[in-house]
Amino acid sequence: MDLYIPPDITFVVLTTITLLAAIMALQAKELIYGAISLAISFIGIAGFFVSLDAPYLAMLQIAVYVGAVVVLILFTIMLVRRDEADKDEMGESGQGAAGLWIAGLLAVSIAGVAALAGPNLPTTPPAGNLPISQLGPVVAVSYSVPLIILALLLSGALLGALVLAKVDR
Amino acid sequence: MFLTWYERKLLARIQLRIGPLYAGGPGGILQPIADGVKLIFKEIMIPYKADKPLFLGIPLALVFLGALPFAVIPFGQHWVIANLDVGLIFVLAVESLFPSMILIFAWASNSKYPFLGGLRSLFQQVAYEIPMWISALSVVMLAESLNLVQIVNAQQKIWFLGPAFLSFIVFFIASLAELERLPFDLPSAEPELVAGWFTESSGAIFMVIFLALYMKVYLMSCLITVLFLGGWWGPAFLPQPVWFLLKALVVATFIIIPRGVYPRLRVDLLIRLGWTRLLIIALANVFITVVLLSTGVLSPWGL
Repeated sequence: MDLYIPPDITFVVLTTITLLAAIMALQAKELIYGAISLAISFIGIAGFFVSLDAPYLAMLQIAVYVGAVVVLILFTIMLVRRDEADKDEMGESGQGAAGLWIAGLLAVSIAGVAALAGPNLPTTPPAGNLPISQLGPVVAVSYSVPLIILALLLSGALLGALVLAKVDR
Repeated sequence: MFLTWYERKLLARIQLRIGPLYAGGPGGILQPIADGVKLIFKEIMIPYKADKPLFLGIPLALVFLGALPFAVIPFGQHWVIANLDVGLIFVLAVESLFPSMILIFAWASNSKYPFLGGLRSLFQQVAYEIPMWISALSVVMLAESLNLVQIVNAQQKIWFLGPAFLSFIVFFIASLAELERLPFDLPSAEPELVAGWFTESSGAIFMVIFLALYMKVYLMSCLITVLFLGGWWGPAFLPQPVWFLLKALVVATFIIIPRGVYPRLRVDLLIRLGWTRLLIIALANVFITVVLLSTGVLSPWGL
């Protein structure tokens, strides 16, 4: 496999758009322009996925990142006033202990899952150009361990978000 | 475009009126053209301190996004522009770009009514996307494909309206909410918010936004036709695209009718309906589908 990439015009255009939009997202004076250029940058990354023969990933990139994450960012920009955002709130000590407990539990369960099923992970990736209908079995059967670990992490994050949201009331 | 004329006629019939009549053609069918000409010649008012590039650019982007998914909608066996393997996700992903566009437009018009309407629209559309995706999931499980052409082909023997009836109801209600039609038109509630998130738009901008919204109505009725009503399949005395368009028109009629019949929901009712009822019904249908498929009552390709 050689590392030489042909000067593909799609690749050049996509890279330019993605990088310019990413730079714009960091440099924009108005936060909302930053959010919009972040969305454009995400769409550029989705274009990369399409050019890498992963249309499923590209569509999910658009739906999740552009459709949901950017919306969340817009929400944050518009609803949270800047002086409120700067205030640093310290949680109570009981919460800290509970958080440590949950973090420990999560770490133990993730380590348990990984230790039980880790050696069975396939070391070679599946053959390229997989049709979408075959994607499910590959993810849910061969790569079930990373999937479970991800699910545990996400549920931990969800619990944390619930706790944070509950404190405000 | 003639959907606007159709809607006005239908609503007028519901309210025992006649509707547009004088614009030429049978029953005033040229009314949309007259409206378009009128709106083009009106002045475009840009509010003071509005964000000009966004205010003018977002409506065009909305039309683009409204037209884009039609590329993957199959109107017949070979009447599809792009036969994508991820067609369904493509349509839903493009749909999910609408709320952020609407919020940006509402923000750009620098006025509080559009902003409130934009926030409501965002809440509503983001909340109803989830039951929508999950209700589409059971169709995908039945057809074993995300390709819209294959989904329609799988319905040659039995429409998915039968095995996925609950999903159909959820999808229909969720698409009413996504389209901001009554009874879910809180984002443009006239008594409270003047005209919702497009209050400040005028002239051609307003026309372009309305074009985008009606394109979305037609898109959703096409999508419901593809997912649940067997797409282009029908008795052979009519060609396939005609069947498809007829079915889509019937669905569009049922999307329009609630506007003449139902009052508007409250915000808390709307959110509760979306998150607690529709989500659970959609999940229930996913389980029904799993049971049907695993017990062999239904094979993935029809009966």
